[in-house]
Amino acid sequence: MAIALEQTRTASRRRISRHRVGRVVGHVLTYLGIGVALVFFLGPFFWIVTTSLKANNDYFAFPPVWIPDQPSLAHYVRLFTNSSGFRYFSNSLVISTLSMAAAIIVSLPTAYAIARWRFGGGVLSTVLLVLRMLPAIALIIPLYIMYKALGLTNSYLGLVIAYTVLYIPFAVWLLVGFLRDFPIEIEEAAMIDGCSRLGSLVRVVVPIIAPGLAVVALFAFIATWNEFLFAVVLTGIETKTMMVLVTSFTSGGTDMFYGEASASVVLGVLPAFAVAFALQRYLVKGLALGGTKG
Amino acid sequence: MRMPTLALKRKQWEPLAFASPSLFLIAVVIVFPLAYAFYLSLRDYDLSVGPGHEFVGLRNYTEALFGDRRFVESVWNTVVIILPSLIAELLLGLGLALLLNRVIKGRPIITALLAIPAMVSPVMAAMAWRMLFGVKYGAINNLGRQTGLLDVYFDWFSTPFLSIVTIVLVEVWHNTPFMMLVLLAGLQSIPQELYESARVDGASAWQTFWSITLPLLKFTMAVGIMIRMIDLTKLFGLIFVLTYGGPGGATETVAFTTYLVGFNDFRMSYASALAYLIVGGVLVLTLVFMWIQRYREARAA
Repeated sequence: MAIALEQTRTASRRRISRHRVGRVVGHVLTYLGIGVALVFFLGPFFWIVTTSLKANNDYFAFPPVWIPDQPSLAHYVRLFTNSSGFRYFSNSLVISTLSMAAAIIVSLPTAYAIARWRFGGGVLSTVLLVLRMLPAIALIIPLYIMYKALGLTNSYLGLVIAYTVLYIPFAVWLLVGFLRDFPIEIEEAAMIDGCSRLGSLVRVVVPIIAPGLAVVALFAFIATWNEFLFAVVLTGIETKTMMVLVTSFTSGGTDMFYGEASASVVLGVLPAFAVAFALQRYLVKGLALGGTKG
Repeated sequence: MRMPTLALKRKQWEPLAFASPSLFLIAVVIVFPLAYAFYLSLRDYDLSVGPGHEFVGLRNYTEALFGDRRFVESVWNTVVIILPSLIAELLLGLGLALLLNRVIKGRPIITALLAIPAMVSPVMAAMAWRMLFGVKYGAINNLGRQTGLLDVYFDWFSTPFLSIVTIVLVEVWHNTPFMMLVLLAGLQSIPQELYESARVDGASAWQTFWSITLPLLKFTMAVGIMIRMIDLTKLFGLIFVLTYGGPGGATETVAFTTYLVGFNDFRMSYASALAYLIVGGVLVLTLVFMWIQRYREARAA
């Protein structure tokens, strides 16, 4: 009896320890896989950053210099002074900021009408989905001809209008979600106290859903910052954005000038890094543009 | 206490007034241009010839589908790039989502780090990789030479096949994180009780994966694939930077060919017709997507 008990106890202990070993191995493999993924997905950024900090003779060195001994900001300085990088960087900032603000101002009342009054019924959401899927190439050809006729090419205004409208479907979609969660009673209280509908939207709803607005704004900023097709067709010498600037380095062939090119890539991806961390919780929804809602 | 409902009673004009700014802008900047493009696609507007144009009916469409090898080949190129990209993104994304689902410490920060490539613009992603693949100064050739795997400075864009492989690689790097995020969200919405009862019943990890995880993740996967597929038909920035359609047009996608026809050859009418053919394709894909969404909602209800 005692022996039998002892036997089952050791057996179970062995099973537990085997189980534990399996778990430890599982954990090690999990983190190993994550580590490999991190190297693959972030390695290119690491290399671009170190490349942008290299001195010129480091490029020709063999064995290659992976991490420069004396990092220098010379390429950034040259990018900002020689290649009008400063102008294009500020163009990107101005255009993205204006489009972001305009998209929010235009989309918020529309989203409100959909969330509160079911404006458009189910039709509107279908329309927004189709607009989201619409290939930009179909829009850019007629828009280019129209802009040429109106003198809107090579202007901030032209690009800001285009970006604002392109962004409306996404902004409305996200905002409807935030507004549906907003308790109607708070608004009712404000309106009993004599607030108009627009007044309650601006003074009561906006302050409370401000975090949601910030999410939409950041996505709008990054989307317009990253946009390329409209920028390359509709901008001229003065209004180029960072995305257009960076492609100009490829004209040097396979061995372009690495210093300034890598510096401009670093500046071009900075907002993406910031947004990825700021919007962690909303990345899925944002990236799917509401397509996977629910 | 009837006041609250009265206060929220809408005036007839209010919804329309609230929605009118964006409706107006969408009408002027999206709907009208699209209609104008359709009108153009039935004419022969060619800026390299002159400003005049005449009605030609469906000639542009028949030319694109039956007389233009370049466009038909670009459709084929697009498919050749889309299919391996989708498969790789799905498998890698699923693997990463399953791994992340097992991570207990620091999951949010790791997820955010892995998500970064998807937030970067295609142009920037392509530029970074074009430099990585650089012949003399690129990290890949240099690493290969240092470790002895390569004995020459290799040109990774020298043949059509290699160019497509590199494009697919960059696309997979760029958008696997999206698939990973979607599938991770899907995984986390699977109720934990199912796994617990499976464990009680003594199911192995494989059995749990095949009979619980995969079936419950099916629709999430379908949605993720559809979104990626629709976005991949618009593949443009990546091509523009990595190969500019070369070598010899082997990597020209439909969107890129349309761009070249419109803004290099200035054949505005023909480019509009090509654009409408793409819109038709995307519309079909969108309908499939909506059908999947409906089906999922019906199943959930």
